[in-house]
Amino acid sequence: MTLSGRDAYKDELTRLAQTDTQIVALEADLGGKKHPFEQQFPDRFFNLGIAEMTAVDLSAGLAEGGFTPFFSTFAPFVALRCAEHIKLALGYMRKNIKIVSCYGGVSGGWFGTTHHALEDIGVMQTFENIRIACPHGEEETRRVIREAAASPEPYYIRLSRNDTFDSLPSLAEDDELIVDRNWNEDAPIALVSVGEQATEMAIRIKRQQPEWNHVHLCYVDKQALITNLQRIEQSGQQIVVLEEHRRAGGVGSYLSLLLPHKQIYAFTPNERWPKYGGSHQDVLDYLGFTEERLYTFIHDIRKGSLLCSYPY
Amino acid sequence: MLSTVNKLHEQTIQARKLIIDMAATEVGCHIGGSLSVIDVLLTSFALYGNDERNRIILSKGHAAAALYSTLYVLGWLQDNPADSYGQKESLFTGHPNYLLPHIPFATGSLGHGPAYGAGWALSQRLRGEQGRSIVISGDGELQEGSCWEALQVIAAKQLHAYTQIVDYNGGQNDGLVQDISPLPQLADRFSSFGFEVREIDGHDLQQITAALEVKTNRPLAIIAHTIKGKGIAAMEGNPAAHYAKISRAQACKWKEALG
Repeated sequence: MTLSGRDAYKDELTRLAQTDTQIVALEADLGGKKHPFEQQFPDRFFNLGIAEMTAVDLSAGLAEGGFTPFFSTFAPFVALRCAEHIKLALGYMRKNIKIVSCYGGVSGGWFGTTHHALEDIGVMQTFENIRIACPHGEEETRRVIREAAASPEPYYIRLSRNDTFDSLPSLAEDDELIVDRNWNEDAPIALVSVGEQATEMAIRIKRQQPEWNHVHLCYVDKQALITNLQRIEQSGQQIVVLEEHRRAGGVGSYLSLLLPHKQIYAFTPNERWPKYGGSHQDVLDYLGFTEERLYTFIHDIRKGSLLCSYPY
Repeated sequence: MLSTVNKLHEQTIQARKLIIDMAATEVGCHIGGSLSVIDVLLTSFALYGNDERNRIILSKGHAAAALYSTLYVLGWLQDNPADSYGQKESLFTGHPNYLLPHIPFATGSLGHGPAYGAGWALSQRLRGEQGRSIVISGDGELQEGSCWEALQVIAAKQLHAYTQIVDYNGGQNDGLVQDISPLPQLADRFSSFGFEVREIDGHDLQQITAALEVKTNRPLAIIAHTIKGKGIAAMEGNPAAHYAKISRAQACKWKEALG
């Protein structure tokens, strides 16, 4: 059975901790009961209570003491409430802290706007030195956790809630982007997907539009974007970035800064506040993050009639 | 004990003179809080800062002049901070620069020290080491909610290697703590959180030394009653003491008065 990203995180970290005794797991009361890490390594597991700011700075102290703290909680509570703590501890001082944020985007569904994070990548992008990963599916999530544990760099790893997906097969273990195997050198459109739902959407569309290319970005920090810039640039005549994030500060907006002469478009949820309940997909529908609207979006791009305000 | 205190006394006078020198630079400094905290800060570093297992964090980072002075007087910085404080390409910035030795965290914005110190204390426990963290906050700083969030975690996790010192000088940027957002029953607050509490005269080096040596199986809070601008008659109790830029002539007079 395929695990969700956050369950894959817990399982992989617990597995890694068997041999890496420096790994410490921190939660802010949202790790759930029977956390596998807690069950296997109770001495290295700390539920700090509802104290996210403390968790980030406390992690800095643990990192100074030679440990590798993984702190996990919901994306809005860590990325937004703790922004200054992350700026200083991870960005400025480069402490070896791994933040694993669940409930990325609107995966919190009916929990409402307080439990959504459509701004977190933008916040993290503005801080230098933080690796930002948005893995898709279980295997890719496991890979990112392994890479984070092995790296001395600070990480922000964005996961969803309970969605389960099979990861795309990567060509190499350390590839920071995954391209589809049915590659068209002269593709008119390249779909660049960030995160799970966006990647699933791109996979489905690629089946219907085999002449288009699909590039899935696992890492979306500045370093990763620059490293892979040429491959992204050459992936299609027009590039459409699909991401469950606000347009401002998203990967599409950053790529358009890095490639000012390239036609880059960001297909994101619209700019409403998601005020209604429903499933993850229901909320995405409300925000217009659907295949149907994406087709219309791309149609207008190709006709040259896309309005700056569309579809917002 | 007496010789230690005498030596500390001499060092605090040197440090106060350096703080005055930094107030006499082009940019001035947070002189009032630096002079109030210098006795607890220097004593903490002098007695515990040379052990790699310890971390001392000046959480009220605006008193950076006191921190730089302490590290220089103790011989842990090569360059006199007053020579380049606040200048272009100088690491002696107005708030603690973590790129300097013995400064593990950039604490310029308030409310970070307690949680960082908690992490260090926890790391020592996990390693089975006897190291400790000493975090020095201002009373005004305790208006930051993040301090209390961290202190609650420290108590909950029984981090006995954690010591919280409060430089209780009663002042903050725009006035008096008691007028802006007071801290009633501070000792009781710490006590109710689960801390062992001591209240001392924060300028009495013997009391400071003794308080830091308290053995307890709880985290320790030391409320150090201090005077903003301590040591400079014109500054003591003066609301303008929070941040000041003074003339070199003024600095000479004040340093002379210190002996």
